[in-house]
Amino acid sequence: MTTTTHKHSSAALPPGGAGRPTGPGLTDRLSTVQRKDALTGYAFTAPTIIGFLVFVLGPLLAAFYLSLTKYNILTAPKFVGLDNYIRMFRDERLATTYGNTVLYVAAAVVLINGFALVFAVLINQRLPRALTYIFRSAYFFPYLVALVYVSIIWQALFQKDTGILNYYLAGMGGEKIDWLNSPEFSKVSVIIVDTWRNVGFSMLIFVAALQEVPKDMVEAARMDGANEWQVFRRIIIPMISQATFFNITITIIGAFQIYESIIVLTRGGPGDASRSVVMYIAEVAFNKFDMGYASAIAVTLFLIIMLVTMVQFRLRKSWVNNE
Amino acid sequence: MSEFSISAAPGRRTDNASRTDRKKPHRRRGLGKAVSVSLLVIGAVGMIAPFLWMFTTSLRDAGHAYDLPPQWLPTQWQWFNYADAVTGPVPILKNMLNSAVIAIAVSIGMIITAPMAGYAFAKLEFPGKTPIFVGLLSSLMVPAQVTIIPLFLLMRTFGLLDNPLSLILPGITGALGVFLLRQFFLGLPQEIIDAARMDGASAWQTYRLVALPLAKNAVSTLGVITFLGSWNAYFAPSIFLNSTETATLPLGLVLMLGPYGAGNVAQVMAATTIAIAPALIVFLVAQRWIIASLTQSAVKG
Repeated sequence: MTTTTHKHSSAALPPGGAGRPTGPGLTDRLSTVQRKDALTGYAFTAPTIIGFLVFVLGPLLAAFYLSLTKYNILTAPKFVGLDNYIRMFRDERLATTYGNTVLYVAAAVVLINGFALVFAVLINQRLPRALTYIFRSAYFFPYLVALVYVSIIWQALFQKDTGILNYYLAGMGGEKIDWLNSPEFSKVSVIIVDTWRNVGFSMLIFVAALQEVPKDMVEAARMDGANEWQVFRRIIIPMISQATFFNITITIIGAFQIYESIIVLTRGGPGDASRSVVMYIAEVAFNKFDMGYASAIAVTLFLIIMLVTMVQFRLRKSWVNNE
Repeated sequence: MSEFSISAAPGRRTDNASRTDRKKPHRRRGLGKAVSVSLLVIGAVGMIAPFLWMFTTSLRDAGHAYDLPPQWLPTQWQWFNYADAVTGPVPILKNMLNSAVIAIAVSIGMIITAPMAGYAFAKLEFPGKTPIFVGLLSSLMVPAQVTIIPLFLLMRTFGLLDNPLSLILPGITGALGVFLLRQFFLGLPQEIIDAARMDGASAWQTYRLVALPLAKNAVSTLGVITFLGSWNAYFAPSIFLNSTETATLPLGLVLMLGPYGAGNVAQVMAATTIAIAPALIVFLVAQRWIIASLTQSAVKG
């Protein structure tokens, strides 16, 4: 290795211009450096790329292929074209579980982000530091705990005769609610737990965005006679639109995948009243071993999530205030 | 290196705050503040109460587990629920060990592979760099539920079902970590890298001895996030693992809870308290870093 020459020649180059040839002899050496750099790049990224190919891209393509087959694990997959997709239109359980899931998504978008924004605005005021810290911690903590664990706690709180929730409801003159076993309230329970657990994360995103809003701008608007609502509506909301988009996307994607909270709370019941589409996919695939049909449903879920993400990115350009 | 600090914002806030003070009438703001603090307190109580109930219930005997009106402070200090929980029919300790082994293996793998790839995408030039990175990033759009069936078949083919490797192997690489570390390394001044290279350090040495040590905070955050993600995971474990011996802790707890919450509530709450402990520790130790790294991608975009 001609370390010294290399050192000198590189030092003579303008910064960042390591790839620019200055003389015939140098070109060779630099391209060697470049080639080595490229090799290093591939070596450094190889584990990640292999993991991506084997555990993400490969399985994704396989899911598309399986969705066009009939496959029960025991015999080889049989190509059936679009049969599985056509079958979906006649599947009432799929309609029910997708309907439930869409309800969960709508509730998540409105409730998680609504509460998160309110709490973020409240927390973003000039409160004593310790207080801000305590609030932020309290709201964020449930997000770090496994959904399974918080659901285990909540299913105890939701019990009809022994649960705390009904005890306090009765104390306020309300009626006992069958949170986990009624067709309507089983869904409400799932939504409550989902909102409760995720509100803290969205709140933090909003808080971070609110802190980026230039105080001068807010102050100038107030001096021009804008009231608090006008400031919020005309300045704060546009300035945090990027965070809003992020939060909406995250909550939509998260709610479409809702699964373990329902398993713990209601097991999808009564009947299919609270079952999500992911629970249905798991049932079709791993209880009925109808892998082809389950893959087809999974593919629709993937397409929906991809569409949502892409729509968000598109809209982001037109909606988001980038000034 | 200010990549992971959001502390810049509070500093700016105090600057402007004093100006606002002079100009605004105090009384209405004070009232507004009282109202908002009250609302925040109500919200915070709602967030913490379930955990408090879990803990106090774990200290009662089963007969008093569902005492109404609910007792928010421990009425008994009976630790036998913890002993019973870990010696019950569900091998909770073994499940916990399984969870720990998987989470540690996955975290170690991730903090080796993701910084390397993140560094390469930020600081090295190689053909196809951008398309590869975009492809990787788009994998964040692929929900686990779509790949689970082919992954199940893959694991089955290689005899890895009911084996922790079925969760470790797919977990040791991932786009999110690469993205986070790339963001960090992009913020690292190129001069540092160039200086090391000019001193004759190889690309590997430059990375290992110069760049990586500077990324210590980012790497720790990634490790913690990865650990928690794995420790909390339910979906894939519930499909790949199917015996109580190989089950991870979340699976064990669901088993213990039994259908329709029929299990011994006090014991279940004791086990849940144990299961939540790592999250609590992480939360107390690393809250700041985690919040900063989770929010930066959203806000700075």
